[in-house]
Amino acid sequence: MTSRAITRRTAIKGLGGVTIGLPFLEEMLRPSLSLAASKSAVEAKAAVPVRAFNVFFGLGIPAPLQKEGFDGVLEPLKPLGEKLLIMRGVDHVRCDEKGINAHYDGASAAFTAEPPQGEAKAGGPSIDQMIRRAHYPDGLPPGMVPTLVAGTFFRRSRLSRYVHSFNPDGTVAATMQEKPRAVFERVFGTVAAENDSDDARRRRLRRSVLDTVLDQYKFYTGPNSPLGATSKARVAEHLERIREFEQRAFAVKVDGTAAPDLPRESKLLHGGAADPGGEGIDITLEELSAEWRLLAELYALAIQTDRTRFGSITFLAAGERIRLTGKYEYNGRNVFEFDDAGQRKKSGSQACSHEWWHDFDEKKKNEQLRAHAHMKLREVAYFLSLLDGKDAVDANGKTILDNALLTISTESGDGRHNDVRRELTGVFHAISGAGGRFKTGQIVDVNAEGLDVYNTMLSAMGVSGRLGPGKRKMAEVGAIRV
Amino acid sequence: MGLVRPTCIATTLLGLAAWLLSSLATTVADDKQPQRVSDGLIALYDFSDGDGKTIRDRSGVGAPLDLEIEDAGRVRWSDGALAVESPTLISSSGPAKKIVGAIKKSNAITIEAWVTLANATQGGPARIVSLSANASERNFTLGQEKEVFDVRLRATGSDNNGIPSTSSPRKSLQARRMHVAFTREPSGAAKIYVDGKQVVERKVPGGFGNWDGKHRLLLANEATKDRAWLGTYHLVAVYDRALSADEVRRNFAAGVSSGSMGRAPDKATAGNVLFETKIAPLFARHCLECHDSALAKGGLDLSRKDAALAGGESGKVFEGGKAAGVLWDAIAADEMPKDRPPLSTDEKAAIRSWLEAGAAWPLDRIDPANYLHAGHAGDVWVQRLTVAEYVETVRSAVGVDIAKETRELLPADLRADGFSNTAYNLGVDLKHIEAYGRLAEIVVGRMDAGKFAGRFSKQRSLDADKLADLVAAMGKWLLRGPLDAEEVNVYRGIASTVIGAGGDYDEAVRYIVEAMLQSPRFVYRMEDQRGDGSPRRANQYELASRMSYILWGGPPDEALFRAADRGELGDREKVAAQVRRMLDDPRTIERSRQFVSEWLNLGRLANLRPDARRFPEWNAELAADMREETLAFFTEVVWKQKRPLADLLDAQLTFATPRLAEHYGLKPAGDALVRYDLSDVGGRGGILTHGSVLTIGGDNASMVSRGLFVLHELLRGTVNAPPPCVNTTPPPTKAGLSHRGIAEARVANVNCGVCHVRFEPLAYGLEKFDGVGAYHERDAHGNQLRDDGEVLFPGDAKAIQYKSSAELMKLLADSPRVRESLTWKVTQFALGRPLSAVDAPIVAEIHKIAEKNGGTYANLITAIVMSDLVQKKRTEKNG
Repeated sequence: MTSRAITRRTAIKGLGGVTIGLPFLEEMLRPSLSLAASKSAVEAKAAVPVRAFNVFFGLGIPAPLQKEGFDGVLEPLKPLGEKLLIMRGVDHVRCDEKGINAHYDGASAAFTAEPPQGEAKAGGPSIDQMIRRAHYPDGLPPGMVPTLVAGTFFRRSRLSRYVHSFNPDGTVAATMQEKPRAVFERVFGTVAAENDSDDARRRRLRRSVLDTVLDQYKFYTGPNSPLGATSKARVAEHLERIREFEQRAFAVKVDGTAAPDLPRESKLLHGGAADPGGEGIDITLEELSAEWRLLAELYALAIQTDRTRFGSITFLAAGERIRLTGKYEYNGRNVFEFDDAGQRKKSGSQACSHEWWHDFDEKKKNEQLRAHAHMKLREVAYFLSLLDGKDAVDANGKTILDNALLTISTESGDGRHNDVRRELTGVFHAISGAGGRFKTGQIVDVNAEGLDVYNTMLSAMGVSGRLGPGKRKMAEVGAIRV
Repeated sequence: MGLVRPTCIATTLLGLAAWLLSSLATTVADDKQPQRVSDGLIALYDFSDGDGKTIRDRSGVGAPLDLEIEDAGRVRWSDGALAVESPTLISSSGPAKKIVGAIKKSNAITIEAWVTLANATQGGPARIVSLSANASERNFTLGQEKEVFDVRLRATGSDNNGIPSTSSPRKSLQARRMHVAFTREPSGAAKIYVDGKQVVERKVPGGFGNWDGKHRLLLANEATKDRAWLGTYHLVAVYDRALSADEVRRNFAAGVSSGSMGRAPDKATAGNVLFETKIAPLFARHCLECHDSALAKGGLDLSRKDAALAGGESGKVFEGGKAAGVLWDAIAADEMPKDRPPLSTDEKAAIRSWLEAGAAWPLDRIDPANYLHAGHAGDVWVQRLTVAEYVETVRSAVGVDIAKETRELLPADLRADGFSNTAYNLGVDLKHIEAYGRLAEIVVGRMDAGKFAGRFSKQRSLDADKLADLVAAMGKWLLRGPLDAEEVNVYRGIASTVIGAGGDYDEAVRYIVEAMLQSPRFVYRMEDQRGDGSPRRANQYELASRMSYILWGGPPDEALFRAADRGELGDREKVAAQVRRMLDDPRTIERSRQFVSEWLNLGRLANLRPDARRFPEWNAELAADMREETLAFFTEVVWKQKRPLADLLDAQLTFATPRLAEHYGLKPAGDALVRYDLSDVGGRGGILTHGSVLTIGGDNASMVSRGLFVLHELLRGTVNAPPPCVNTTPPPTKAGLSHRGIAEARVANVNCGVCHVRFEPLAYGLEKFDGVGAYHERDAHGNQLRDDGEVLFPGDAKAIQYKSSAELMKLLADSPRVRESLTWKVTQFALGRPLSAVDAPIVAEIHKIAEKNGGTYANLITAIVMSDLVQKKRTEKNG
């Protein structure tokens, strides 16, 4: 576990000696100042931005277990129950593609409701990106991270297993940041800062170089570009990143005495090493939880300080393969002793927790699966709670969890791979109220296709575009709207 | 049954049809029939309209720039020609923006015409083709001055009237149909060709930055109607580049026809296109699981034309002309696909359209593998340099080795569809931007900027014009093609800033290079993707880069650049000569090793951590040895012995360190990686018996994983996800039950066997190799292990038996399917994108040529480079 949660307050207190972009500072300071300045209600309302984030956890909750409500594996969400709408019966069956791994299909369907296009592309945009484009057609304010994608995960054979923000063409909306320190750098910037140097002349010349480079990228995204639409979009992303770099590289230096703590180096495996040929890794609950919570805190801090308004965060990948050990307690109660390899009496991939999902049988106790699912929701709830505390109060007096759209989902409604229809039926979903747009404090059986649920959400968020086939008739899911 | 809208489907197919028709018509270039050059074409008039007042622009590039005849009574249409019999004006309705925009950017032009003169006395010059406003304001005019062609071209080195002009020699015009072409290169070199022969060359200095964007394109007169030209037009074309002498000759040889550009497909062709783009993928996806040659349920095999037309046990299942018959009835009633979701409304509509249109079946065989990547077919992604390509590009361009820093700073490229150079997955993040900037800084810091600049200019001058010359020459090298005037100005601006800050020449060069190293033209392989959605020939510099990145993973060298400068890459023989030269470069070997490393995912070895209790001998060094074994084996077979690629499957040799030799049960020889002859070593031999590949099966040496690897990577086979009601967790081995026994039970299972029979027996021959590639006759329970089995090649009806691992390897090495699959893999890597059905005819031709020439990697790469997949580029409509 982290010894001390990273909060907006501790970060501001510790600022100094580190170069950060101007917008960061302004946004960090604005909420507290705004309270003191007693802004008008109109101004306060205007200060609450549109935000949307996708929260993914791997392997899912079998539909029969969802029926138990907060008395079962959903228990960790109970403290936030009044701020969430839990949706049962969300169906992604159209996404179950023959010839493609069902874990991957389900993961691709999460937040897009579309089947994947091959190994590294989703079938369409994710909800957060639809909202982003509708509300910020000209891009986000300068210096802001347009989309933040982060996660703690170890299975990576296909991209949608762990990335959950996608552009309209199905490509990833941002690069995955899988180490807490990488999130820190991505959000709060350790760009080789020009103002580390006192050489103003050198700065001016480098600025000239950057301007030239920027100009060239602009040409390739402009009306006279020789590129087609697909390539133009790719170069436009590059241009957007340069503009962000520009904001950071030429920011001001902040005076201060004590620098904020740079997150410690992660001790866990990352990159290719984290997925040894699909055979799984050994990990303790403490290692897993500590890494995730640090990453979640940094992600939450990025939202609290308005450094990002869109993106996704992943706690364990689709079809995740870990061999977990450790005592699992919840609210002082011993829930379970994880020992996947020992309990399965196997090694390699066959000893991973993933296999509990394949073994699910609703007539049995499913003790291990229940413990894993409960633990996952505990960690998801940890992240959500960071957006609901006193550090997460927006200018309208409500918390980010109240104001933003948080969509929580997973890959499967049943992990057994033994029924084509059942597998992606009843996939767990929960959403926050998004500024009063959606009902909260309920568990509803929506019993609708994911496309209709997501499109209803988009409609409520003021997005005119829709997911899925253009000529498909949308069925509004009125049960979720206020 | 839902809505059926055949017309809507036909409309959506038009885009695909354009591409497919073009692909099918010109797979590997046809040398017998000269074809007009299409690369760089901006406007084309072939006068095939036949009547009326409008002359249509048939270039297919951008918005058509059609021309209107002011007085149709003064012209006469004939077959593919327009005779102007008395003075009139033919002009575009508005400014010729697409011509002005493209030519200002390229700083080069070709104006071409096929005309028959009415007389040898008209002058002024009489306007044949003109982009002008009046007698003294023009961008260009190709005219007749009595017995000469006269070209006025506005540039910063000439006046607004394009004076001094360029003229053909005296008496070079005759009263017959003539071909004239005027070309002007970015360097200023201007030439006139008459009937395919160059007749004059002079310099038109400067750029086209002073061109007027308001001028209309005119034929037969000046805009002020006082410079009439009389005669017959057969063809007029404008390009945004200077055609080479070879290309002008080719256009002359092609005659007055503009080719098939702009022609709509006939009904039969449309039916074929519908089948290839909609019906075949649909059958592959929904029907062939049961109705292929291997299973042919109900006696129906829809994978082969003759069998499909013959029908099933109850006779024919469809007839052309109407939506009826067993096939339609079963689909319409949702009875088929059996136990699977029914076809969608759109899919049913497609089947109905196809049946009603005559049920054309142009393919002998439907190969499901061709349709795996159908979703990518229409996308044209610009390719970012991969990490390895960036390193090689910097090294080749400026002579600085930046490998270590690049691997530290640039994020690794992720694999997609089996390779990490897949363009659609080569996105960028903030880290990339930061890294490109930092790396550029490091590179420039290690360069002698002054010396580097000396390669392009000896002047060392801060004079604006001389700096422009330096930027143009240096930029052309670093950015892999000529810069336009605007780009030159932009980079020269950096020098101005440096000079303003008190800097000197060397410092100015350093900052310019630093900017260029981060520019889109350095980081990406930029190409002109504009067009009508059909393929177009890559221009000289685009082709040079395609060749060098395919062969070397780096930029063109000076010799290739020179060839591009001379326009020689439009000549197939000269391209082939360049490929032969490039194959001798060690970079080709290194690039091929990148291919094999990606194909077999050798990077995976560094991450493996098998259960230490079961495999105590495993360590990182052994993993590294396995990787080196495969690379050394590949280099030996492919490059030293120059054997066909398929020999990788059964070449009886390998390379091992003493540690790996011991692991394999070989007697260690030497103290490093050395070659071992495996002729007398039973079981081991060929790439599938390398530890690097065998570890794909995981700790338990999964026959599923190994079999799928062979199916996907060597046989280009497809297989569906596990069917319902099956526990995918395999039971453990025990005394009396080996992996083979478990696999055979799966194959025999009525639910699993449908698919598992297609791949698990492929791994039977590998049972004697454990999870980390060591060889055993018995497993841990004492079970005797076996290596006999059978192979069902995709598309075949019957499996072929093999008695040993060695026989399996021989079967694979001799299999046409394996050879074809290797061609697909190398081609995918070469192109940096997954292949689809649209590519299939060209890949088949590549394969045929490569096999005919010996089937080596060199033969294959040569065939790929010479094919239309490389010679032509895909375009996007309204790009």
